[in-house]
Amino acid sequence: MSKPCFVKSTIGRKVIAAISGIALMLFIVVHLGGNLTMLVPDNGATFNAYAHKLHSLGPLLWVARAGLLIFFLGHVITAIGVRLDEKRARPVGYAITASKGGPSKQTWSSRSMLITGLIILLFVPFHIWMFTLNQGADHARIVQHGVEMKDVYLSVVRGFSNPVKAWAYVAVMALLGFHLRHGFWSAFQSLGALSPKCAPVAYTAGLIFALLMAVGFLILPLYILYFGPDPETLRVAMN
Amino acid sequence: MIKVAEEPILNANIPDGPIETKWKTHKANIKLVSPANKRKYTVIVVGTGLAGGSAAASLGELGYNVLNFCIQDTPRRAHSVAAQGGINAAKNYQNDGDSVWRLFYDTVKGGDFRAREANVYRLAEMSANIIDQCAAQGVPFAREYGGTLANRSFGGAQVSRTFYARGQTGQQLLLGCYSSLMRQVDAGRVKLFPRREMLDLVVVDGRARGIVCRNLVTGAIESYAADAVLLATGGYSTVFFLSTNAVNCNVTAAWRCHKRGAFFANPCYTQIHPTCIPLAGASQSKLTLMSESLRNDGRVWVPKNKGDKRPPSQIPEDERDYFLERLYPAFGNLVPRDIASRAAKRMCDTGYGVGNTGYAVYLDFSDAIQRLGRDVVRERYGNLFDMYHEITNESPYETPMRIYPAPHYTMGGLWVDYNLMSTIPGLHVLGEANFSDHGANRLGASALMQGLADGYFVIPYTLGHYLADSGVLKNKVTTDHPAFKEAAAAAAEQTKRLVGARGKKTVREFHWELGRIMWDHVGMSRNAKGLEGAIRDIRALREDFWKNVSVGGSDGDFNKNLEFAGRVADFMELGELMAIDALHRNESCGGHFREEYQTPEGEAMRDDKNFCYVGAWQWSGNASEPVLHKEDLEFDYVHLAQRSYK
Amino acid sequence: MKFNIKVWRQAGPNAKGGFKSYAVDGILPEMSLLEMLDVLNEQLTKQGEEPVAFDSDCREGICGTCGLVVNGMAHGSRLKCTTCELRMRHFEDGATVTIEPFRAKSFPIIKDLVVDRSAFDRIIAAGGYISVNAGSAPDANAVLVPKDIAEKAMDSAACIGCGACVAACPNASASLFVSAKITQFALLPQGQAERERRALRMVEQMDKEGFGNCSNHAECEAACPKGISIGNIATMRREYMRAAARYEERAEAAGAG
Repeated sequence: MSKPCFVKSTIGRKVIAAISGIALMLFIVVHLGGNLTMLVPDNGATFNAYAHKLHSLGPLLWVARAGLLIFFLGHVITAIGVRLDEKRARPVGYAITASKGGPSKQTWSSRSMLITGLIILLFVPFHIWMFTLNQGADHARIVQHGVEMKDVYLSVVRGFSNPVKAWAYVAVMALLGFHLRHGFWSAFQSLGALSPKCAPVAYTAGLIFALLMAVGFLILPLYILYFGPDPETLRVAMN
Repeated sequence: MIKVAEEPILNANIPDGPIETKWKTHKANIKLVSPANKRKYTVIVVGTGLAGGSAAASLGELGYNVLNFCIQDTPRRAHSVAAQGGINAAKNYQNDGDSVWRLFYDTVKGGDFRAREANVYRLAEMSANIIDQCAAQGVPFAREYGGTLANRSFGGAQVSRTFYARGQTGQQLLLGCYSSLMRQVDAGRVKLFPRREMLDLVVVDGRARGIVCRNLVTGAIESYAADAVLLATGGYSTVFFLSTNAVNCNVTAAWRCHKRGAFFANPCYTQIHPTCIPLAGASQSKLTLMSESLRNDGRVWVPKNKGDKRPPSQIPEDERDYFLERLYPAFGNLVPRDIASRAAKRMCDTGYGVGNTGYAVYLDFSDAIQRLGRDVVRERYGNLFDMYHEITNESPYETPMRIYPAPHYTMGGLWVDYNLMSTIPGLHVLGEANFSDHGANRLGASALMQGLADGYFVIPYTLGHYLADSGVLKNKVTTDHPAFKEAAAAAAEQTKRLVGARGKKTVREFHWELGRIMWDHVGMSRNAKGLEGAIRDIRALREDFWKNVSVGGSDGDFNKNLEFAGRVADFMELGELMAIDALHRNESCGGHFREEYQTPEGEAMRDDKNFCYVGAWQWSGNASEPVLHKEDLEFDYVHLAQRSYK
Repeated sequence: MKFNIKVWRQAGPNAKGGFKSYAVDGILPEMSLLEMLDVLNEQLTKQGEEPVAFDSDCREGICGTCGLVVNGMAHGSRLKCTTCELRMRHFEDGATVTIEPFRAKSFPIIKDLVVDRSAFDRIIAAGGYISVNAGSAPDANAVLVPKDIAEKAMDSAACIGCGACVAACPNASASLFVSAKITQFALLPQGQAERERRALRMVEQMDKEGFGNCSNHAECEAACPKGISIGNIATMRREYMRAAARYEERAEAAGAG
């Protein structure tokens, strides 16, 4: 027999989706860690310093960004492929479908991976535009400890002071939570890492992880919207 | 009056020499087909159960071209799949004194001295190889902690020789066999024909040269030519309508071969299993068997008062009749299948039965629960209790089970010689479809053994001998031969006739009625008057069938009614032969119990002087006038003795 | 009991199908769903209508022939239960029971509720076996199998090949079926020689047959009448990765292709 192509096989594609998914999960953990520095009550000094540090990595940052992009695209492409297979595999659907319960892990979260994923996919460019490419009209900069840097904090505060944007973020982060609720354990199952004994542990861990991530991310826009400083007066007062 | 053939023509072709060396000598003397020539032969195998599947796989491995047919949608569903208990083998792994000799002895005695000694000895010899073969195929037999195979004692055997895979031994053995078969399919040596029903055997110049079958999906009548035909199509318990067999089990393939000249041996030897879940209503399609092991701890009883309709919990101890313990104090609830079954039937027939229908007896575990505790009982029988609960909605932990006997296995079948060849040269018959190894009664865990012995280890030798010896290779036949045309036309005509039938009664109603007659009079207990009546009733019913049956639908596609109609038509003829055979056999032996021939204690009484023979029936062209041929049985090694379980 | 049966009727593989409703009466609670269909079919036959075609055989849950989607669930709502074991007392008297065939591209409809599951046979033919010719086996006790391994192998081997996993899977994936066989043989010492080849070939055939991919919904495990665990699917993935990494060198070293 000739050896089949791993990446074209159903299992190979799930492995790619799982590895890229785990990489993206690691990324968002780091991302969340950085975000939470905004909660330090120093008018963004810690957060700006963190952002500056990242930006000052230079070529390394671009390597990281490229890697992230590859994982992201890998995840998206394999996931869409998997979904297209599903459609081909059952051209005529059932009149009624129901879950049998018991050991089934079929939930809204598992059934909506493509939808939650696609929304996140649409959200990401917007997110990058909002906070990385276009940091407000004035490209605010700040001097902290004698170093001049972008005032990322100010643009985040400006962004989330808009209730529409803030609530839109909250909604997307909730969907991210649903995506992770199934995605977390599913990634390990797809890698064959779960014995029947650890599967329930991973499944519960997935729920905890999804909650931590979703709550962690959506705390920030809400905090800024309702408890954060007024962006108009923030830097004025400082100056 | 039955017609008996004057000249004995049956030759079992048993090799000479002491029984221990017969098979060895035979193997050394029979002809071989050279490896280069095997691919030139085509062999048809009908059936994919343990016998058919193992034969097809083994012949494929040897290099023959095999065409393998089955009525199911895949070979893995053949009814062997449903066997629960286990498979016997004389391995003596338990160091408890088992041997080929003992297995041979037990089987001959268990068969009530109506089996052929030479065949049974070979079966016992093969038994060890079967376990080796199945273990190598990856069958997950039960094991001890050290990794060796586990055994249990089964069906009252005095040694632990039964190998098992939970309660699914038949399934696991069949899947092992199926995997070997699919390997040959992948290798291109076996071609599968699922969803095909064999409707006729094609005989050319006196030799079986092919089959005609109906494609159950397209309805097409198809013909296939070959150099030999192997029939492994199982038993005929569904003649009773309600049995533990699958609903598609049937006698059609075997019966059509019978009508082409294959003798049908001992049709009256049928086995009834005592521990089945009783009938609940007229729409029931089959009876479910529960493992016999239940009788190890359950006590069988009925109320002492006729027609006592109180719930079992309200019947006090002294108003209960533990009839097996009363009648058979030594063995009690563990008497053999046929004895337990008949006793239960007697109690119900005389009005002591329980449940809605009055056709059930209690199997009570309350003593066992008290003695052993609920947990131990659950450990031993939990699965069976759950199954019973699911079906009847009653918990055996709380209330006694209701059980009733049901037809389960048929020892009779097409007559074959030592080489498993029928009276039609080239037609070989394997497994439950033949008659050879179980005599008048089959021991538990022997059916799987026989099917696999025939397929893996007997037929690969004896078929080669036939092929090499018969010269069929020089005389190839194709489906263009007039015999094929004639058979295909006849099959098509019968199909047309059935599908066009627009009478008042459904096929199922006819089958139900036939089953009723068979169960009442040709079931586990028979008498001359009842059998004579049954013969008359079956004849009348058969006549009515052809006038009044309603089939409908089309013969050009999937049509379940049409399938069943053809099968029921054959059962109508077989049923009469069973009754004729039972009537002529004026003795009781094994599964054949004639009320006129019993000991004062109600035990089966054999008549070795007059009936120590195989009754093989020849089709005469008229279902009511079969011709009897006798093959005398000789017992040189196991001496004739009366069974006693008192 | 009375029921309104809403059942999928389709005259042939290429015909257009649709639901038809029938009323049945006099159903006993202890009857199985298939026995209820038997009653319906007797009724239809008497009325000169064509009976509803469905597959069944052993009617005790071991042969794997029957398989219907009942009220949206493969083999109905009961766990560890085949359609033939599904008793009518689990339905409400007077209810509508919707019955559909197993639906998947790889299980084309033959008629009404009857589907063609031969794709499963082709997957087994691709490698679901241990190559051992009759007569060439060593003594059964020559190869020891520890009890726990034998038990685990039996858990996987219990598959009856009914296809409910495919029917229940939102993606119509056959992963549970294929993985159960791969796992059974990967566990046993007898299965080691062909371990990599088997995983690669069976998965390749599964993909060729057009089954969907597995997204770990685990609905298959819930639908499986034998309760086969999705742990098997995890094992299959490991086996496949292992085989993909190791197969070539070994095969070439052995001179096989």
